[in-house]
Amino acid sequence: MSNGFLSATLLRRQHAGRLRPVLSNLAGLAFGITVSSAILIAAGVPADALIDEFLVATFLTSDGLAQTVTAAGPLILVGLASAIAMRIRFWNIGVEGQMWAGAIAATFVAIHQVGPEATRLPLGLVLAFAGGALWIWPMLVMKVRFGINEVITTLLSGNLAFLLVQHLLFGVWRDPASSFPISIEFPPASQFAMLGWGQVHTGIILCLAVAVVAWLLMEFSTLGYFATAIGFSRKVAAETGLPVRRITTALVLASGGLAGLAGGLVLSGTQHRLSQTLSGGYLFSAIVAAYLARSNPLGVVVTAVALAAVYTASDVLKVFYSVSEAVIVLVQGVVLMSILVAQFFTQFSIHLPDRPKQRGR
Amino acid sequence: MIFLLGWLAIVPTYTTPLLLASIGLILCERAGVLNLGAEGLMALGAMTAAITILAGYSPIVGFLAGGLAAMALSLVFGLAVVVFRAEQTLAGLATVAIGLGLTGTIGRPFVQKTFSGLPDFYALFGLRGAEAWVRLVGHQDAITLLAPVAALAAWWWLYRTRPGLKLRAVGENPAAADIAGTDVQKTQLGAVLFSGLLCGLGGAYLTVAVSHVWVENMIAARGWIAIALVIFARWSPARAILGAVVFGSADALVPRLQAIGADVPVYLMMMLPYALTLLVLFLTALRGRGSGEPQALGATYLRQDKQ
Repeated sequence: MSNGFLSATLLRRQHAGRLRPVLSNLAGLAFGITVSSAILIAAGVPADALIDEFLVATFLTSDGLAQTVTAAGPLILVGLASAIAMRIRFWNIGVEGQMWAGAIAATFVAIHQVGPEATRLPLGLVLAFAGGALWIWPMLVMKVRFGINEVITTLLSGNLAFLLVQHLLFGVWRDPASSFPISIEFPPASQFAMLGWGQVHTGIILCLAVAVVAWLLMEFSTLGYFATAIGFSRKVAAETGLPVRRITTALVLASGGLAGLAGGLVLSGTQHRLSQTLSGGYLFSAIVAAYLARSNPLGVVVTAVALAAVYTASDVLKVFYSVSEAVIVLVQGVVLMSILVAQFFTQFSIHLPDRPKQRGR
Repeated sequence: MIFLLGWLAIVPTYTTPLLLASIGLILCERAGVLNLGAEGLMALGAMTAAITILAGYSPIVGFLAGGLAAMALSLVFGLAVVVFRAEQTLAGLATVAIGLGLTGTIGRPFVQKTFSGLPDFYALFGLRGAEAWVRLVGHQDAITLLAPVAALAAWWWLYRTRPGLKLRAVGENPAAADIAGTDVQKTQLGAVLFSGLLCGLGGAYLTVAVSHVWVENMIAARGWIAIALVIFARWSPARAILGAVVFGSADALVPRLQAIGADVPVYLMMMLPYALTLLVLFLTALRGRGSGEPQALGATYLRQDKQ
């Protein structure tokens, strides 16, 4: 029996086993990294410099490691944001928009010096979380009440948030002392304390704590168990009587909130002011971190650190080999596509058609 | 009045890229494949067209090269989802990343280099004067005229020909189409390639005919708007013309308001196309489901999975 123009029959594997998924993921990753390396070499990075820049300079030197750890913080949070939504098969593609919403909230608290100094930073972060959750809320309603594809709505809401930031930066929040569209610097009370190692700040502890809490919730609580069931089949979950809508609402708002928190973290931790950038693009990073980790929160920490290393390396590549930072997005796309294709070998077994044997030889 | 005229004159140029992309996306979704890669495909088309023209080729060659480059990228997406049965949403996003990443990496040396693109009718026919009709006609070009024709042709092909019927059958019920002798995979792969070509042409139009320059991020979510447009058009290429005019008009309003120096906040005004898209999606959904969405959209087909 043929299956389309490739005359092979595919059968869904009932049990993929333990080894097969690991092997096909590794093969996918290896293929993606090989293609990405080829692209980098074609872009003008010498082949022998690749290992140096991507491994030695990002993990094995103190400065490099500090930079990687700093970059990992917001990546962990957006990765978690993407992961917990992905668990119930809600595609939150708007993490950048929610980060901007969180950044706006954190900036408001910082430059208007809301509340006593002792609670200034926590208040900014809580409002950043709330800002992110608020930003995804309409998209959640549109999805669950009206069935509108959340991929398009969350993405477009990101453009709205960025334009709102522009509006503020070229308007009321512009630092009069600067010729650039940036806000005034956050007062120290709104900044994370430095740990005296590169730009690493106490925010990284917060990120790791959030990851552990998310891990406990998603892997060991009833909530996480129900979420997995909903992700498996929304219909069956609803028919079984699970509170599908309540869990969806909670997890999607938490997803937006975590992305918002990431926005607050970038400003209070490293940038210390609102500007037109959040130190890099997070849209694809979030998806890649979550997908590679199979939505497991502790796995997200690992993938986020790996992605952070790519960020660190790209800074070097930009300076020394004038490779555009867009190469990060390219690498993420290639790796994601390779791993998606590699799932094929986990999910299906391939049966080639029997050819009539040649006789008489 | 002058404002209205200036606005109406440029509406078609803002409509065309959206229309071209959405024709491709409609045919692709009608074959059951959700191609979310439009943004990346349009970017690749736009950049390739600019580079080709900067290399000394004619605008038409550049326009076609943009379409072909995006088609090549859509082949990667098509193989991933049709042959390797990859998750369509994520594979689409990976396509966006590859498209944006490629254009950012390859296109960097070509950013901000202007070229003379496709001549509009002012230049082509030597139109002069300030009469209303001259302004309305002069701003158009050959492609703005061809795009609606292409939409109608796609509609005719989809509803009035046997291959069109087969393509729709694949998107509605691949198992039935399979039994009837249609090669599901070939049809879907063909539809994906066609959507790649048209998204690429839509992106290329932006550089070849509108901006005459390549700038990073110049697609500015138009790929996503084109995807929303498919829903608004209820998967009909003919209705996509109306949809593209609505979205194109909103898009065209922004530069016109800027040009006359209207006292409105620039960045809030720039939200208009995105806010309108969200609003239109909402209103379309309010009107009720069963809006013409292909039954098997986004589903992976395996012959053994027959219900």
